[in-house]
Amino acid sequence: MMRQHPVYLLFGILLIAMLGFAEWRGWSVARPTEVKNVPRSVRDNPGSYRPAYLYYGSGRYMRGK
Amino acid sequence: MVAPNVKGLNCPNCGAAIQLRSGELAQTVACSSCAAILDAKDPNLRVLQEYSGRMRWTPLVPLGTRGKLKGDPYEVLGFQVRGIRVDETDYLWREYLLWNPYKGFRYLTEYDGHWNDVVVLKKTPAESGGSRPTLEYLGETFKHFQTAEATTKFVLGEFPWEVRLGDKATTRDFVSPPHIISEETTKDETTWSLGTYVSPQYIWEAFQLPGKPALPRGVYANQPDPSAGSAAALWRIFGIFALVLLGMLIVRQTTARRELVFRQGYTVTSHNADSTAFVTPVFAVKGRTSNVRLTIDTDLRNNWAYFNLALINDQTGTAYDFGREVSYYFGYDDGYWSEGSSSDRATIPTVPPGQYYLRVQPELGNDNREPLGFTLTVHRDVPSLTFFVIVFGLLALPPIFAAFRYHAFEQMRWRESDYAPTTSDDE
Repeated sequence: MMRQHPVYLLFGILLIAMLGFAEWRGWSVARPTEVKNVPRSVRDNPGSYRPAYLYYGSGRYMRGK
Repeated sequence: MVAPNVKGLNCPNCGAAIQLRSGELAQTVACSSCAAILDAKDPNLRVLQEYSGRMRWTPLVPLGTRGKLKGDPYEVLGFQVRGIRVDETDYLWREYLLWNPYKGFRYLTEYDGHWNDVVVLKKTPAESGGSRPTLEYLGETFKHFQTAEATTKFVLGEFPWEVRLGDKATTRDFVSPPHIISEETTKDETTWSLGTYVSPQYIWEAFQLPGKPALPRGVYANQPDPSAGSAAALWRIFGIFALVLLGMLIVRQTTARRELVFRQGYTVTSHNADSTAFVTPVFAVKGRTSNVRLTIDTDLRNNWAYFNLALINDQTGTAYDFGREVSYYFGYDDGYWSEGSSSDRATIPTVPPGQYYLRVQPELGNDNREPLGFTLTVHRDVPSLTFFVIVFGLLALPPIFAAFRYHAFEQMRWRESDYAPTTSDDE
């Protein structure tokens, strides 16, 4: 049975191994925008920070009805 | 094989040379020149039937060719074309009569490039009735495929029976790939034969025929599915993978830390987004690199709010920027309705351990002027079903594809049978 489909067997093992690694590392299908070197002054003046992200989420972007 | 005892004669109809290879066994012989059927028992080869048809067929394995089948030598003695008529369409196939003086007779049949090696059965197979009869033969179950009336259209060479153009026989075929059992009934007798599907290359090699054989067209009644058993084997492997996935899911669900690292409630009264930005106290995200889940629970009522968010590492200055919209509407129009949710959550992947804070800038919708109360909750190392579902789906694709191929092949096979699947075109 296993020898009949070595490609599928390998495919499945790789997928499952990848899944295990992804779960271990806490991967997600969506990623937020990562920004480096945010100044410490943001803590004192939160309004000065300008977000660098694109919309991150699964839902629609709708501001009111 | 011994040298053939060939008897040379001439056709009384056209004068062409006639060779009798099976000697006393031949009952009738058809002239290879004019296709007239002659009485092989008559010393003068009395003409029994002349051929008046316009169509002439040339045997792909010429008469007199000798070859080896299943290790035994055979010689081609006769050739006939037979056919059935279904829905005003003639389906013709070709039959070759083979002979070995020690083994007896054997047949080859060919239809659209599909070949069968056929032997006559000495034992009648056991039949079970019903709307779809089956046969049992040597532990194998054969399903009824087709019943038809076959007519002999063309004949060449010699035959150990009284062959005539226009001979009719009722044929019933039962299949169990790569085998086929055929019953032929005439007014005088019933014969059973067992055919085994063989490749054209096998015939070409057996008879050392020149060139290459024509490729088979379509799917034949007893043609074995090249992927038969493949789908079942793939499903079995998939079952093992599914069990492994289930085990991993249970382990993940039971070992995930789901550690609460931050929770705090806030209220926003201003609708001016520029003045609502704030930062949370610093909180510790511990353990190995893993995900972080932020949950926003609000008291929204018929309004929306948008949260500009950044999870910022206080030590390295690395920020994860994202935004979430929360909207919740409800009311009564011919009954209660609601849309959206007053809560939302986001998972931030692969966050290294460290000291973090959230920079939050809520924007409040104008549909409702009430202040917005909300709670931010941060959990560390939260399991997710998403990748399990994706992997499960990807693993299911190959067996689904193999099953689809198997069913498509079987559908093509049975399309030519008495049990053809009904299509919308037929209705």
